[in-house]
Amino acid sequence: MKKVLGVFLGVLTAIGGFVDIGDLVANAVVGSRFGLSLAWVVVVGVVGICLFADMSGRVAAVTRRATFDLVRERLGPRFGLLNLSASMLVTFLTLAAEVGGVALALELASSVSYLLFVPLIAFLLWLVIWRMPFEQMERAFGLAGLALLVFAVGLWQLGPDWSQLAHKMLNPTVPKGEGHPTYWYYAIALFGAAMTPYEVFFFSSGAVEEGWTKKDLRIERVNVYLGFPLGGLLSIAIAATAALVLLPRGIAVDHLDQVALPTVLALGKVGLAFLIVGFVAATFGAALECALSTGYSISQYLGWQWGKYTAPRQAARFHAVVLLAIIGGSMLILTTLDPVKVTEYSLIFSAVALPLTYFPILVISNDPDYMGDEVNGRVTNLLATGYLILLTVVSIAAIPLMLATKAGQ
Amino acid sequence: MKRRDLALHLLDRQVQDRDGRAVSNVDDLELTFPDNGPPYVSAILCGPQALAPRLGGLLGRWLQFWSEVLSREKTVEPGRIPIELVNGIGSAVTVTKARSTLGVHGNEDRAREYLIDRIPGAR
Repeated sequence: MKKVLGVFLGVLTAIGGFVDIGDLVANAVVGSRFGLSLAWVVVVGVVGICLFADMSGRVAAVTRRATFDLVRERLGPRFGLLNLSASMLVTFLTLAAEVGGVALALELASSVSYLLFVPLIAFLLWLVIWRMPFEQMERAFGLAGLALLVFAVGLWQLGPDWSQLAHKMLNPTVPKGEGHPTYWYYAIALFGAAMTPYEVFFFSSGAVEEGWTKKDLRIERVNVYLGFPLGGLLSIAIAATAALVLLPRGIAVDHLDQVALPTVLALGKVGLAFLIVGFVAATFGAALECALSTGYSISQYLGWQWGKYTAPRQAARFHAVVLLAIIGGSMLILTTLDPVKVTEYSLIFSAVALPLTYFPILVISNDPDYMGDEVNGRVTNLLATGYLILLTVVSIAAIPLMLATKAGQ
Repeated sequence: MKRRDLALHLLDRQVQDRDGRAVSNVDDLELTFPDNGPPYVSAILCGPQALAPRLGGLLGRWLQFWSEVLSREKTVEPGRIPIELVNGIGSAVTVTKARSTLGVHGNEDRAREYLIDRIPGAR
């Protein structure tokens, strides 16, 4: 019974933890401009993140080593450093976007300028990382993030023609008034949102933090293969509410206000209350994951002691890096850069960095020296190789498309 | 006896102390060439001074520069862990001493002393 409860909680945490500021913004923007014609991208992205998260979790459980530990071993210090620099730049940008997201959600609740919340958020982020045990932290914010299920309730209340929605999803066309380059630009942003690199850094380091062994792999698989797809469904629900309410009225998404609007229209103040709790939990949780991922990856590359499982003074440089990342990310938002724009750029640069993150995982999970009899099966390798080709295409296309469409305008 | 490929099985691996704490990575290796007999690995070298030459180029020089600026003693010698202390080579390289007694932890000690220990609740 206790085991069942553990698995159940794990799945719920994975659903609540799946959505972050990138998913919120990308799905709402895409829904408001392209309806559900890009929902297929979420499906492709979710299959990808499942595949690679499972792989990195397996590597961590078998070798007790996290991703960047092995990246340098297998790819050498030079390529490892290049990879680290690119990944950390993207993760830092994502951290800033998440901090901005928490601040915007609090602005939505209070009508006080989001900028005033940023220092407080930074302090709370640091405090949680400094004091809160890992498992409690992950669980608390994942479960609170489930408040976002209100998007699905809102969608149901809006009473859409379900068969028409399904038809639009399955027969995607570029809507009138939107060009093909913009369509593909947003496809890439949405893909970047589903497969954001920090998720696997955090997932594999978290596995080491929680001391996973081969025995935990079955639970890990249930979490990944059930939790992430349900999180993906939630993403599509966000896009669907935007497609139903914002698209016909020509409302553009440039703040969390518009992300919330359709659900508030359907459910009123109660809906708004759930949304704000969900926004804050999801973005705050993701900000924690990004800040920790920065510390994890840099420490792993350089061989420093890392992790929340030891006291901070036993992992001094790790905590110093995390602290610097939080301060830096908050300062970036305090420059009054538009947090929604920061989010959109973080998604595109995530897309550029995707092969760097996922290629080493595929190499290592095929190495019998590390993995013993837990190496990838043939089906996994076939799928993963296909994805790697896709990731490379996406990575190469991202910047030219961004320039050609003036970042999606 | 087991044969090891130094580049594949030793370089860039994590070094752990006897309590399972991370010490460093194997940033470089020290080879000794005795007058009679073949050369052998005599120590694991670690820290930025060991890594910088392996990175080479501008990046290596930059790392070297900053590590010298940040280190109080102006040591140009990298941290050194004699190979006699190594008792296992697996997914990590394990050594038989506690990390505080290895004498290769200057930067971690400084980060602890000047920043982390000054914040309440670091223990």
